[in-house]
Amino acid sequence: MANLFRWADIRLLYWRELRSALRERNIVVNGILLPIFLYPLLLWLIYTGMTFVSGQTQGFASRIMLENLPQAHQELRKEFERDPRIELKDSQDPTADIRGEALDLAADFLPPAAAAAPLGGNFGVRLTYDNSKDRSSIARDRFEELLSRYRDRYLEHQASALGLSTAQLQQFWIETRNVATSRQMGQFILGLMLPLFLIIMVAVGCMYPAIDSTAGEREKSTWETSMTIATPRANIIVAKYLYVATMATLAGILNLTAMLLSVKAVLAPIMGNSTDEVSFRIPLASVPLILLLTILLACFVAAGMMIFASFARTFREGQAMVSPFYIAVFLPVLFLQVPGIQFTTGLALIPVVNVAMVFREAIAGTFHWPLIGITLAVEALCVALALWLAATILRYEDFLIGSYGGNFAKFLKERLLGGRRRGRQ
Amino acid sequence: MDPVVVRGLSKTFYDEARGEVKAVQEIDFECRAGEIFGLLGANGAGKTTTLRMLSTILTPTGGSATILGHDIAAEPTAVRKCLGFYSATTALYPRLTARETIEFFARINQYAGDVKQRVDYLIERFGISKYASARVDKLSTGMKQKVSIARTVAHDPPILIFDEPTVGLDVLNALEMQDVIREFRSHGKTILFSTHIMSEAEKLCDRIAIIHAGRILACSNLEGLRQVTGERYLEDIFVHYVRGQG
Repeated sequence: MANLFRWADIRLLYWRELRSALRERNIVVNGILLPIFLYPLLLWLIYTGMTFVSGQTQGFASRIMLENLPQAHQELRKEFERDPRIELKDSQDPTADIRGEALDLAADFLPPAAAAAPLGGNFGVRLTYDNSKDRSSIARDRFEELLSRYRDRYLEHQASALGLSTAQLQQFWIETRNVATSRQMGQFILGLMLPLFLIIMVAVGCMYPAIDSTAGEREKSTWETSMTIATPRANIIVAKYLYVATMATLAGILNLTAMLLSVKAVLAPIMGNSTDEVSFRIPLASVPLILLLTILLACFVAAGMMIFASFARTFREGQAMVSPFYIAVFLPVLFLQVPGIQFTTGLALIPVVNVAMVFREAIAGTFHWPLIGITLAVEALCVALALWLAATILRYEDFLIGSYGGNFAKFLKERLLGGRRRGRQ
Repeated sequence: MDPVVVRGLSKTFYDEARGEVKAVQEIDFECRAGEIFGLLGANGAGKTTTLRMLSTILTPTGGSATILGHDIAAEPTAVRKCLGFYSATTALYPRLTARETIEFFARINQYAGDVKQRVDYLIERFGISKYASARVDKLSTGMKQKVSIARTVAHDPPILIFDEPTVGLDVLNALEMQDVIREFRSHGKTILFSTHIMSEAEKLCDRIAIIHAGRILACSNLEGLRQVTGERYLEDIFVHYVRGQG
């Protein structure tokens, strides 16, 4: 082992990789800048998008036709006329006009149902609209909002005539009280967002270095140069692996830091005053666990991506080969956004997903130690398996010198599962 | 003992389309200290495969070879430490500067002396001073060639392998490369040199091995080859052996 690994050589090779990487625009953008600026940018885009959509819907008047409005409720017509968001229109064929987008909604006031008939002023309304059109749906919302307001005032007026106060008429009301502290609210919001973004960022931060240090070297013809260096090949591979894992970890930690520093300021326009009630802080006790898991995750993703990328001969080919693994890493985590999902032993056994669940719980200050133990063991096992696989593959000379023409799946089928041993050193 | 000794060296590849390919078949030769030994052959003759085996990039499937007494299969790291390998397929790391490149290779290949002094000497020797701080990917082909030679000899190895070093170079750069190789010989280096250009072999090599279809057909100095074949020019000598083989 002492002969196999020369740490002085590994350190030299590692710094050579890192120095090269920090001079490559794509790696700097994806591994450093994106993790720092993704959250603010993404959330700003969401906010801008919401503002834009909101501005669009407020910028037009809904064309509404009122039919058979009872004489007793002519005040309602005046309400509609006063609202700048509504334009009253007439139509000979309302249904055709709604389909032709000349009208947004037709409200036909109907006689009251049999039970309500004895009460004066009652009526029903049939709304005709096109739910497949935004304008028409918005017209319905505006009509219902206005009618609901009118009904409340009408009922208050009628109650007053009967000598009843508003409180007597109202009978009961609902009052809500959120027992979560501001810190818990912040942790809840972070727990929803952070694990997904952290995992994506680790994968993004890892992807370019993994391809660059394998397929990229083949494309630039520097792979063979590295093979002539007077150090065991294992040292070269270990240095490359440490470099890719470093970049992945760096992306994850930068992302985490940027998230914590910027999330409150960025969410303020979306959440309004409620951000004052929310504290976005991670419990200190959770930080070592989150860091440890980020490193383990980075090691696993780095090993996986390097294995896939090392079958490629060009950077472009490398991207194509790594993409399925990249998607496989973060796709399952998307399902964790379903509300109410609990961290179970089953989830703790699924790589990456288990890390996301531990992140989520750690952010909230919850520690299920048996499940955390399973998660750490599963991730460590995945890293060990990936490294064993890499070491096995590297024993094949045609793979090592870049003359093997297949991909990982073919290699697995032919050499590792099929038992063909040609080219093995 | 000669610094490079090759005995029965063979390499068989497996190719999906062609099946087993015998790229090199039981070749024997040795390089003497301080000489330029040329491997002369057409494309696909087995020159590069032989040199790749000697530089431990490839593992032989048969036979053996030693570099300064180190077996290429058993002690690949020791072998790599005492040789410098130059070929068109060993490019420079594009994002390092010329100085960083030379320093990296001197350190990683365990240069025994003062690395800084060695780097300064090589930068001066190859006239790289002006662009020593420029990134390699910004350099011209000629400049890259100089940096590439400097990185090959950065650790001052006693044995140098040049695999078709003038491929892709213009006439002036090719001549400069020949001068550099001669200079290395004058410094006592043992040089293994492969080419398919007859004039190059004729001008540079102390001894020549003619390799064809993975086999060495003849190995001698130019005078010896002339005497055996009765031909004057190396081109005719080469054709004599290759046709005779066919």
